Amino acid sequence: MRKKIVSLALAGVLTMGLVLTGCGSSDSGDGAAPAAEASGSEETSGEKPYEGVTLKWWGGNAENNAGTQAVMAAATEKLGMEFEVEVNPGGSEGDNILKTRMASGDLPDFMVWNSGSKLHELNPSRGFLDISDWDIVQKFDDAFLSSVTIDGAIYGAPQSSTQAGAVIYYKPDYEELGLEIPHTWDDFVANCQKLADAGKTPVYFTGGETWATQVLFLGDYYNIAATNPTFADDYTNGTAKYANVAEATRSWTKYEDLVDFLNADKSAATVTDGNFAIGTGEATHWFILTQQLPLILENAENPDDIGVFGVPGDNADDHGLTVWEPMSWYVSKDSEHIDAIKAFLEFYYTEEAMDLYFGTYGANGPSCIKGYELPESVCSAVRVDMQKYFDEGKTCPALEYQSPIKGTACEQMTTAVGLGQMSGAEAAAMYDDDCKKSAVQLGYDWE
Amino acid sequence: MKTKKEQSLYPIWFVLPSLLIFGIFFLWPIISSLYYSLTVWNFETAKFCGLDNYKLFFSEHSMSSSVVHTLIYAFGTSILKVVLAFFIAIFLTSKIRTKGFIRSAVFFPNLVSMMAVGLAFSYMMHPTKGLLNVVIQALGGTAVDFLGNPNTALASIIATDVWKGLSISVVIYIAGIQSIDKTYYEAASIDGATGWQKLKHITLPLVAPSQNSIIILSLIGGLRSFDLIWAMTGGGPGFSTDVLASVIYKQYAAGFYGLSTAGNVVMLILISVIAFPLQHFLNKREEAIQ
Repeated sequence: MRKKIVSLALAGVLTMGLVLTGCGSSDSGDGAAPAAEASGSEETSGEKPYEGVTLKWWGGNAENNAGTQAVMAAATEKLGMEFEVEVNPGGSEGDNILKTRMASGDLPDFMVWNSGSKLHELNPSRGFLDISDWDIVQKFDDAFLSSVTIDGAIYGAPQSSTQAGAVIYYKPDYEELGLEIPHTWDDFVANCQKLADAGKTPVYFTGGETWATQVLFLGDYYNIAATNPTFADDYTNGTAKYANVAEATRSWTKYEDLVDFLNADKSAATVTDGNFAIGTGEATHWFILTQQLPLILENAENPDDIGVFGVPGDNADDHGLTVWEPMSWYVSKDSEHIDAIKAFLEFYYTEEAMDLYFGTYGANGPSCIKGYELPESVCSAVRVDMQKYFDEGKTCPALEYQSPIKGTACEQMTTAVGLGQMSGAEAAAMYDDDCKKSAVQLGYDWE
Repeated sequence: MKTKKEQSLYPIWFVLPSLLIFGIFFLWPIISSLYYSLTVWNFETAKFCGLDNYKLFFSEHSMSSSVVHTLIYAFGTSILKVVLAFFIAIFLTSKIRTKGFIRSAVFFPNLVSMMAVGLAFSYMMHPTKGLLNVVIQALGGTAVDFLGNPNTALASIIATDVWKGLSISVVIYIAGIQSIDKTYYEAASIDGATGWQKLKHITLPLVAPSQNSIIILSLIGGLRSFDLIWAMTGGGPGFSTDVLASVIYKQYAAGFYGLSTAGNVVMLILISVIAFPLQHFLNKREEAIQ
């Protein structure tokens, strides 16, 4: 017994010692670094004012694209600062990382994150800088600004262009079978039937990367809003439910209609597989965010082979597009290099940098920078197919920009319905329960 | 009197550091998690809400089904490991030539990280391109969507877990079998016992202590398993392989900190409720044998 106690005590002392030394060394490390960096930046003020500054940023692979890298390289050339990316693995994994880092005060200098309800969910005032007084804010259009404004504070700046949750399709299949772009859901299903009869895969489904399965549901919001203009507010207040608004339930049952039209590996396919499948015509339709367009085009033989249309509803005369505001840049309020980030973002929204970005990478949709026109090199899917909806005013911001509440298990449910494991009506009711949890967490009183 | 008291206090000082660490890093979190499980918590403010989190946890289908999946997973992996490992261990303690090599081969899966195993198996189980389905189709069968079909997904993960975790059980069994006194077998042989009789009446009862450790270890491991499931299906398709730990993780990732803490408390209770009586029962059995 005595031996046991002694060994326990020894182990305790050892652990204690480890803990103490661990703290000590990390403290001194943290203290020394900024001092060195600060003195470094003072010495070289001149032509490249931010030489020697390294900005750490956090973003997903879609944001750390060739366009962003080109603009960052140009900024290094011009302003001197270096960039170091930390990759966001995406999905709930990524949510978790950012939330944890924010709670523990360990944010990178700046980062890319969603606008709209997912920004609300973060409670951004505790980690992100309010950039209302920065000049660049004047350049952003109002729809974008409203998606990054919380309690009068503006937190974000658009990382890219707007995008839509829509159907991306392979045009040669349509030409081959003489199909028309469907303006109602029934026409769409009829097209799928014809494609299936012709031995093609009508719809691509990515059960291996669940976030992407939500796009049919989320992109159908235009059709809900068209018939229920007050849905967003009623839903936020807890009076409108997916299970008891017919058009809203329909967003879920649409998955049922497609169960027989999906790819063979629907349960395991990933978004990368989807980029390839649509780009090469392996499948014809894909309900996906148009942020995938540039990546799909990398696989396409001819950029004009790829087209976009909005998720069809029941009214052929009102076929619209559900629009997402871009992901945004956010600045950590604890960053030691706020000046450098400000200078970088000022550069980011010059015409030169934007042309470089969209010219290198392509665009997901029309830009939300006032008065800026996308370069000619951007694909026709964006400049013709999507622009048409914008010109006709047939666009509607996605629900996540109009209500802070979004069910967090949404992607599991859309996957389950899409794979035919539960009915749309069941999922609608389940989703209402899921939203209730978000509402409670955000302090709404739903009964 | 006084000196006696001092003497009894004296060793306490040695325990104190570890007691402090235990208190700060184990006891305090458990107590505070009990409190936070009763609140709506966002790290800054915690609003007391009584037992609502627990009600929500059990009323929602996706969460209560996770309890069932957890139990299936824990008992499934545990039983398979206990049974399969026993026969492998018997085989590996018999007189075979390549014993050393086979023993390392059996132990090998355990050296690979859980994540790597999960990813490798999920690629092998891919419905169209996976190795398993390519083989099945080459042999004229129809492709099985191992991880995409809710009826087979959990079983596929259980099979992977058994493949990976079997070796530890085998090692424990081997140690147990080798420590059995050879004279029992000699005596049995002289009495004319068959191999099967020796196995049933000597090996099986005397290996009980090792067997008990295996049951407890693999059951607790199964109850709180997370990494393999997360790597292979992420709880999907839909909710069909969600276990307690993955649901808790998702609630946490979604920012429902109070709710996920309640889930952790439920898991703690579930593990205790199963593990303690089981251990008690197994100890009884062990004593009875001896």
